[in-house]
Amino acid sequence: MPKQVMNRKAGDNVYLHKDFHGALSNGIDFIHEHYGPEAVRDYLRQFADTFYAPLKKDLVRRGLIALKEHYANVFKIEGGQARFKLTDNELRIEVDLNPAVHHMRAQNYPVARLYSETIRTVGEALCAGTPYAAELSAYDEASGRYTQRFFRKD
Amino acid sequence: MISCTEFIPAYSELFKFLEAKGGRKAVLDFWNYLSDRFLNNLRDLVTANGIRGCWLYWTKSLNEEAADFTMELDEEVGTFSITMHHCPSKGRLMEYRHITPYHDYCGHCDVLYRRVLEPMGYEYNTDLSKCDQAQCSVVIKRKKL
Repeated sequence: MPKQVMNRKAGDNVYLHKDFHGALSNGIDFIHEHYGPEAVRDYLRQFADTFYAPLKKDLVRRGLIALKEHYANVFKIEGGQARFKLTDNELRIEVDLNPAVHHMRAQNYPVARLYSETIRTVGEALCAGTPYAAELSAYDEASGRYTQRFFRKD
Repeated sequence: MISCTEFIPAYSELFKFLEAKGGRKAVLDFWNYLSDRFLNNLRDLVTANGIRGCWLYWTKSLNEEAADFTMELDEEVGTFSITMHHCPSKGRLMEYRHITPYHDYCGHCDVLYRRVLEPMGYEYNTDLSKCDQAQCSVVIKRKKL
């Protein structure tokens, strides 16, 4: 077999490596096993406070449309299926196909017992210190289908 | 939901979180844990295909990660190499202005893959000296019996 060579530039491919969902799930399991469930939430709050700081500012500046645009883009990129209902005081996201859980189940990767915290805790952290609150009102462990509400607190 | 396109900063923050909790040992423990639990696809491909398994594994992952790289496989000699011209993970971390990457972010690759390949009879050599430019290289060689 002759020597094989592959050259690729960044622009040759679309950035979408869904196995990363499995790596994050393992990270959550590791924290859970070694430091307990509250540490998982602490980690996710730290991540959200750091990484989503610009999104949080956008939420305060433009309101719930900022979150709708963000999550609509996430589901579009990942090929998920979600319905968005936006009013002046509430954003309701009903997820029929959760691309993260769908991918992990398809690959037989373990899904962390606290994987739903990537939705619940991150949503709450996004809203902390803003006029809004978040609630994970339904979550199906097997499929990852969920309903999440973001709403004005007053 | 955290998108897989947002994983790299989540990963970097995870390393920082673990180091604050349990020091460097906690980070290394996690990398070993992840290698043992999550890299079965690399392990299975190398078991089935020898060093070509490395080619098959990284062909999928590096293309999905939209990396800028050169990969070479020489089965007769028993070598596989990656020259990473621009790592998409480290590159993204460096582009974000509002986050500080974990100080040894690139160290995870060395630990994760070495732990799989060395027990299978391969040498794993990596040059991380240009990590701060999102560049690195890896050479994997079949050990002579």
